[in-house]
Amino acid sequence: MLLRLRMVLAGVWLSCMVALGAHAAPSVVILSSESSAAYAETAQALTEELERGGVPRSSVLMMSTREWMDGRTQSARLYVTLGAEAAGLLAASAPGVPVLCALLPRSSFEAALLQYGRKASSQFSALFLDQPPARQLELIRLALPGVRRVGVLWGAGLSGDRSEFRTQAQAVALPLVEAEVGSEEQLFPALKHVLEGTDLLLAVPSPQIYNSRTIQNILLTSFRANVPMMAFSPAYVRAGALLAVYVTPHQVGVQAAQLARAVLQGKALPASGAYSTDFQIAVNEHVARSLGLSMDALELTRRLRLLEGRP
Amino acid sequence: MIVRRIRRRILLAAMLPVSLVVLLLMAVFLYIGMGDNEDSHGQRARSMARQLAGASEYGLFSGNVGQLQGLVRVAMQESAVRSVVILNSRGEIMASGGHITYKMPARLSAQEVLDRDILRGTDLLLQPIAAEQVALNDLFDGSARASASTAPVRVLGHVMLEVTGEKLRQRQLQLLRLSVMLGLAGILLGGLLAVRLGQGVIRPVARVSRLIERIGRGEFGARAELREQDPLRDLQQALNQMAERLEVGRDELERRIAQATQELREKKEEAESATLAKSRFLAAASHDLRQPTHALGLFVTRLGQLTHDAQAIDLVANMDRAVQAMRELLDALLDISRLDAGAVPVHLQAFALNDVFDQLKAELALMAAEKGLSLRVRPCNVWVLSDPVQIHRILLNLLGNALRYTRAGSVLLACRGKGEEGSAWIEVWDTGIGIAAEHQEAIFKEFYQVDNPERERSKGLGLGLNIVQRTARLLDHRLQLCSRSGQGSRFRIELPLTAPGAMTDRRGPGRRESLDELVGLVVLVVEDDDLARAALVNLLTSWGATVAEAPGLAVALEQLQRGLQPALIISDYRLPGQEDGIQAVLRLRLAAQKEIPACLISGDTDPDLMQAAKVAGLTLMHKPVRPAKLRSLIGRLAKRS
Repeated sequence: MLLRLRMVLAGVWLSCMVALGAHAAPSVVILSSESSAAYAETAQALTEELERGGVPRSSVLMMSTREWMDGRTQSARLYVTLGAEAAGLLAASAPGVPVLCALLPRSSFEAALLQYGRKASSQFSALFLDQPPARQLELIRLALPGVRRVGVLWGAGLSGDRSEFRTQAQAVALPLVEAEVGSEEQLFPALKHVLEGTDLLLAVPSPQIYNSRTIQNILLTSFRANVPMMAFSPAYVRAGALLAVYVTPHQVGVQAAQLARAVLQGKALPASGAYSTDFQIAVNEHVARSLGLSMDALELTRRLRLLEGRP
Repeated sequence: MIVRRIRRRILLAAMLPVSLVVLLLMAVFLYIGMGDNEDSHGQRARSMARQLAGASEYGLFSGNVGQLQGLVRVAMQESAVRSVVILNSRGEIMASGGHITYKMPARLSAQEVLDRDILRGTDLLLQPIAAEQVALNDLFDGSARASASTAPVRVLGHVMLEVTGEKLRQRQLQLLRLSVMLGLAGILLGGLLAVRLGQGVIRPVARVSRLIERIGRGEFGARAELREQDPLRDLQQALNQMAERLEVGRDELERRIAQATQELREKKEEAESATLAKSRFLAAASHDLRQPTHALGLFVTRLGQLTHDAQAIDLVANMDRAVQAMRELLDALLDISRLDAGAVPVHLQAFALNDVFDQLKAELALMAAEKGLSLRVRPCNVWVLSDPVQIHRILLNLLGNALRYTRAGSVLLACRGKGEEGSAWIEVWDTGIGIAAEHQEAIFKEFYQVDNPERERSKGLGLGLNIVQRTARLLDHRLQLCSRSGQGSRFRIELPLTAPGAMTDRRGPGRRESLDELVGLVVLVVEDDDLARAALVNLLTSWGATVAEAPGLAVALEQLQRGLQPALIISDYRLPGQEDGIQAVLRLRLAAQKEIPACLISGDTDPDLMQAAKVAGLTLMHKPVRPAKLRSLIGRLAKRS
């Protein structure tokens, strides 16, 4: 309730800013794909963090993709897009100023690049929703020390961090059992294959494999195989995954603001995109209990942060 | 009848709404029940299909045929399930159970389809098996908007469930039976209630109806039994009062009628006894008056034989007529008083009408001749059933009247037989003065005379027709009068015809004795005057006597010598030759050698003669001899012999 009120207030404030600062070009334009709660929270966190960093609210302009498509383009020193649609719009228009694509999975960013023939650079960079493979693997070792082998399903097409996963797995001595899923029919055989002889199913974002229609059967299969699943978003934890490490919209907003400030101060964006530095861990205690496990999300977060050298 | 009709009406009035309501309720009950049944049947089939689809999802996802077959087996255990087929997304049969009789659809819809086969009574449900959607609302789905509800449904396969409606039909039938039973029970209950309630009304009505019927039949003693709870109590009370009043009224009326009847009877008896006394008085008076009248007649006759001057002769003649009328009056009064007193016995018998006619002609020929009238008697060969004495009296009266009231012309006695009607009309015609229509009823009353307020003697006594009517009534014969003033009259009397009988049959017993005594009685008539002798012979013959006649003693003696044995001798006093009547009788007795009864007839009223006759022991009759007197005398004399 409080959140929603805050979002509404922010919306009203942003609109006022737009009206007042129409005569001067804003420093940052936030182009949001939609106005849902997650987006609004990200936008608000972003704005507040910018303001805290000395960027006045008046020089931050909030736009929706609809307004952009209606031709009300706005020049700025930096564009921050929220969501895949906004990223696609700016990939297509190539404004000539740095563009930071936030609040989207790595696969979506890569799909947008591919679609418009662009390459990731400091001019067109991203802040991924995905968690770095190392963090995920570290969490496995931390939360489930008994895991010997980890199963992974790869969706067809783009999977930029597949090699990184393999490398990191080797580094932490957690052999991966992999399978490729070309079509939905192949899902069950692949899943069956992956679940055999593994102790954990590590879900990596792939809309083709993990979606609202399939998740139930995947979770059911893994549960029957007595293999817990580690997922990439709290929604999967609610659906039945054992645990997940993820970044919250607020954390995205804050990190995006930090990157934007750096751009405004003359620094460049990371050329190949960036993973979120902050994260959060969710644990499904029911699942944990039925698997005979005991884990605490906050404790795990604290320990993982410590491992990464963060306070 | 009325009660039955009321009962029918009440039953109808009660049963009609009850039946309608029950039928309505039945219809509603059936409608709702059958609808519910059908709904629940469809619901059950659908939910079975949905559950099966839900349960098959993972089996299809995992391609686990064994699990699917298990599901099919479980589903087949459900009643009404005829067949189950689980298809995968490519339409291949993964598992099936039961006998599949339908054709697989070429295209499988992504929607639920219910295909009802009315002919076979089966429902075929096609239930798509969709992957269950879990709301993720995840940023990784490419868009947070890609929520579960908007994501396209992926069909994993289909469940085809065939369900028979047999069970449904059985339940519908059960429901129908139940509702019919309930309906019948309702109607029965309603009917019983209606009858029960109806009796509460009908019984009092029936009681009242019966009571009214009884009162209507005259049972005024009938009373309704009053009951406390009776709805018609007041009515019955009023009826009781009415019956009571009627009873009292009737009793009072009966009492009065009895009283009045008693009074009337007493008065009638009083009147009857008065009439009887009058009749007795009349009879006695007329009888007692006859003797002095007879004497008076004799004196007048004697007086007429003395030598008088013309004035005295005229006076004597008038006196003679007056005496004659008085005699007739007394005879008539005697007849009437006897009729009144019921002293006239009736002796019905068959007799030849001609006999009576001849007698009448003989009796009245003289009177007609004296008046210069023609008395015609038309012979009639019929036999009738009646009392000849009374018929004779009736006709004598009628003919006497006719002769009396006819100045010129003729009087006719005739008979008109009517064989086909079994009766004969005896008719007396005259050419007299006639009777006006206004008098035709009155003339039959006693002493009634038309146009004779001064009661002139020559016009009769006014008793004749009264006697005629009374006698006809006594004999039960119809009497009719047809007359017009100035054009003569016709009286007629109807007699029943009968077959001719023997002579002996003609005579009855009783009062007829006097006549009977004359039948076959051999009478010797000695009379020198031819005309008088012929009339006398005629009269005697009409009475049935065998008559021998002689103009003088010599002829009479001759007849005795020839073997004639007369039982009676009637002789004229004055005979040709030396002998008078007395001597002639004595001579004849001598010749016959026995005391033959005899009487004398004479035109003389000489007291010496009378004395001589008395000495000789012979009855002397004066001319003109009245037939009745003669008859009675002959009767008396015949009895003596």
